[in-house]
Amino acid sequence: MGFLQIASAHKAYQTPEGALVRALDDISIDVRNNEFLTLLGPSGCGKTTLLKIIAGFEDLDGGDIILEGRSLKEVPAHRRPFNTVFQNYALFPHMTISQNIGYGLDVAGVKKPDRDRRVGEALEMVGLVGYGSRRPAQLSGGQQQRVALARSLILKPRVLLLDEPLSALDRKMREAMQIELKNLQDSVGITFIFVTHDQEEALAMSDRIAVISNGRLQQLGSPTEVYDAPDNEFVANFVGTSNLFTGRIIDVDTGQGLVTMETGNGRRLCAGSRAYGLGDEVKLILRPEHLRLVDGDTPDGPCLIEGSVKDVIFVGSVVHLHVDVGFGRTAIVYHHHDRTGFRNDIEHGAHVRLAYAPDSAHLIANGRG
Amino acid sequence: MRKFLPSFKLLSGLLNVYGLVFLTFLYMPLGLIVLYSFNANPINMAVWTGFTFDWYATIFGGAAVETTFDAAFTESPERIFEVVKNSFLVAFTAASIATIVGTATAIAIARYNFITKRFYQALLLLPMLIPDIVLGISLLIFFVGIGFELGLMTIIVGHVTFLSSYVFVVVSARLAGMDTTLEQASADLGAGPVTTFRRVTLPQIMPGVVGGFLLAFIISLDDVVITYFIAGVGSQTLPLFILAMMRRGIRPQITALAVLILLFSFVVATVGLLLRNRKP
Repeated sequence: MGFLQIASAHKAYQTPEGALVRALDDISIDVRNNEFLTLLGPSGCGKTTLLKIIAGFEDLDGGDIILEGRSLKEVPAHRRPFNTVFQNYALFPHMTISQNIGYGLDVAGVKKPDRDRRVGEALEMVGLVGYGSRRPAQLSGGQQQRVALARSLILKPRVLLLDEPLSALDRKMREAMQIELKNLQDSVGITFIFVTHDQEEALAMSDRIAVISNGRLQQLGSPTEVYDAPDNEFVANFVGTSNLFTGRIIDVDTGQGLVTMETGNGRRLCAGSRAYGLGDEVKLILRPEHLRLVDGDTPDGPCLIEGSVKDVIFVGSVVHLHVDVGFGRTAIVYHHHDRTGFRNDIEHGAHVRLAYAPDSAHLIANGRG
Repeated sequence: MRKFLPSFKLLSGLLNVYGLVFLTFLYMPLGLIVLYSFNANPINMAVWTGFTFDWYATIFGGAAVETTFDAAFTESPERIFEVVKNSFLVAFTAASIATIVGTATAIAIARYNFITKRFYQALLLLPMLIPDIVLGISLLIFFVGIGFELGLMTIIVGHVTFLSSYVFVVVSARLAGMDTTLEQASADLGAGPVTTFRRVTLPQIMPGVVGGFLLAFIISLDDVVITYFIAGVGSQTLPLFILAMMRRGIRPQITALAVLILLFSFVVATVGLLLRNRKP
């Protein structure tokens, strides 16, 4: 028996135009106790709907939400042991910070002395001592964010639901809060379900990521699983950047665990795999950081791509190269420039040879996703 | 462009003149009535004979009515106090009930989905469009039909019917501007629907509720047409009382009374507007 089970959740909406939108299409996730689970997907994929359903703000059309064996279907939002950090924080504007944080305890009937003490502790936890008598409007976005966190965590919920809480913050603040949130989750030992459309955020913070698109669960796994071994093309493209090649396996070396794939226009590419056999239709995924520039001495072979540089984009830590590899295809390469190293002077139009390790190429069956 | 400039100037000048004329027609009469209320001439208000507070004094019983001629046209302070009391009683009671009804309906319409929602909404807005005279006649026929004796009670009930619409509109506007996630946050933190309403929704829409109440109060206070039909003997309100006074001629005391009402309405309207415009 799992901790929190999302059991084949279904939810559909009628748009004003009359079309039926499947916000959730048979989503099942077993949420583990004390984990940091991220629901990741593009806007409109259904992740926020799922969060609202868990919180109890919306009803399911089908399926169930089960907490430790008990269905929450008939339990209204205010009786669920979950708390939410809203995207816009939803702090009560007519209350002070202390009243906001103490609201849940007050409603639960906790007496004032005890409440004041716990509010004080909560203010300390989020580093806002001395702000208690202010109003939400007098605080910065980051501070409001902390108040929202304190207001939820003070109730010691079984699960904390976070709806894109970092999206309103600027980049530096966001990165700082990512670390803070992750540390907070470790220290309080509460299950976090975090919704975001930012894949970097998801990779940085999560124990597990549930990638959702069009109301369907695309993949559920650890950040490394999702990044290194995407289940389908959607995940490969949404999480990180991918170079994708479609083709059929023409050679299998079972001893080495190597296969060779040929694309429709005759390009041959190698990959390390034992999962696919001769004749299988596959897609080969290469991450930009796995492609490296090599000199002319490297022998040709299926683990090498040639092309000419179309664009050079300097982003600081790396150089993004857009390489025209023929047949109208562009490969994206992240090239580390180390001042003294090889080819720091790449220019538009330069001829380059790109090598990769067979094991860094990931294969998925064609036709899925 | 340049050659159009003179004609543009002319147009702009004409617009200014138009604005001036408009404002003159709007505010001259009001200015005149204030002026007349201080004119000592008891016979012809349009001829200035000196400054006096006498007309205000007769309202509050501070000055004796000097001639029998004047006495015939002047109402006693007791009588004025009685109708003012009636008016305030009606306005306060009707506005209070209308505020509760209007607010409750606005919340139902804004927060819940039900099939007859649009229908209800239309029904609530309709009383503002129905001509007063039609509303007055139909209320009268209704009250007489069910055997409800005309009096202050019928005025109150009658006023509630259309005042609720005004409160509904004002509170709805406020609710539309309110962040609904605040209510979700309240529920999320363990508050039931009643607690959420009392501690989150109501404080958020309070300026709208108070504004709606004040609007309803003012509208009730100076309603003539509907009240005319449904007022009974001995349940006269201030506007009806003034109307009756006017039948005997426009006397200086009326101008003084009018200025006082104007002043009161102005204060209430200002408070109402301030509250309505206050940011949530």
